[in-house]
Amino acid sequence: MRIPILKLHDYLLISVQVDLDDQTALQFQEDVLNKIHQEGSRGVVIDLTSVDMIDSFIAKVLGDVVDMSNLMGARVVLTGIQPAVAITLIDMGIVLEEVPTALDLEQGLDRLQQELEG
Amino acid sequence: MNQQIRELIHVHKSTITDEWMKEVEKFREDDYLQSISDTVYQNTNREFVDMLFNTVGQEGEDVKETISNYTDRLIQLGWPLNYIIRGMQEFRKVAVESLIRNDDQTRDIEFYQEVEDWVDEVVNILVGHYSGSWENTVFLQKMALKELSAPLIPVFDNISVMPLIGTIDTERAKQIMENLLTGVIEHRSQVVLIDITGVPVVDTMVAHHIIQASEAVRLVGAKCILVGIRPEIAQTIVNLGIDLGKFPTKSSLKKGIESALEMTSHQIVEIEE
Repeated sequence: MRIPILKLHDYLLISVQVDLDDQTALQFQEDVLNKIHQEGSRGVVIDLTSVDMIDSFIAKVLGDVVDMSNLMGARVVLTGIQPAVAITLIDMGIVLEEVPTALDLEQGLDRLQQELEG
Repeated sequence: MNQQIRELIHVHKSTITDEWMKEVEKFREDDYLQSISDTVYQNTNREFVDMLFNTVGQEGEDVKETISNYTDRLIQLGWPLNYIIRGMQEFRKVAVESLIRNDDQTRDIEFYQEVEDWVDEVVNILVGHYSGSWENTVFLQKMALKELSAPLIPVFDNISVMPLIGTIDTERAKQIMENLLTGVIEHRSQVVLIDITGVPVVDTMVAHHIIQASEAVRLVGAKCILVGIRPEIAQTIVNLGIDLGKFPTKSSLKKGIESALEMTSHQIVEIEE
């Protein structure tokens, strides 16, 4: 199962619509980085609206994706994290520090614009 | 209870009642009991003792029902449980004294046990009812508190305020976090102001809960500003070594709103007349 990555001008849009398992997450990490390399994107929005569950491993992978993409020169914004997911993450002590977040895709794109300009 | 004892109790009814009334008068010290008039006090006592004698002739469920009905009335009137229980203890003494005759010990012991069982059953039902009514009160208050607990109020586009009033414990903190997060999504807030003006004490635990809540808010994509930090709270926070450096704090809600407007690129301007 691979997660589709859409290109929009300088950005990559990724909507995660399934609960990620470890294999999918790692595959996803690889795909995103390859796509950034291929397209030379400057920003990535990962939308997690339909994700109900994130475990510590997935959280780590997501954090890694953000760091790795930053290394490759693309800013990443996580959007649409559900309240339940946020509570679980906080309870597990995962704060995803330094990772920009936004309420939804729209605000995520605004945020990305800000980050790139600022 | 066997027939013989029942009859005996009924024969001695008036002596037991009089003795008992005399005894309970001695510990009528509760504020509530002091405040009611003597007639009401006497009448209720008499009713209580009559109710007890009524249960003598009854079995099982009937006893329970008679006492339950009467207990509900006592609770409504606000008679203290300790008075009632002491009353029951006196009642046992008085009843046993008037029944025992000292000529036949086995019979006396039997009497004693019967009276004991009877009184115990009544006491159990009384205590059960009283504690039930207390639990009920506590439950209702808990619900009321929950309803008042943590509202999230949208004040401008994308700006919401959550005023917190009263002590924050773990259970409430959990609820605050849930309300905060669902509210943020529902109102599409970008900035949330948590107002702790009404929180009397901020210790490490409360600070921990607030930090967690604001981290969670950040994850769902909004920002948190902590407002309403009174001087004494600022002192405690620093003295306890709590690090609130990661998110912005302001002394008053007004200042918080100003900086929230700034963050969402709004500002309040005066209209020129």
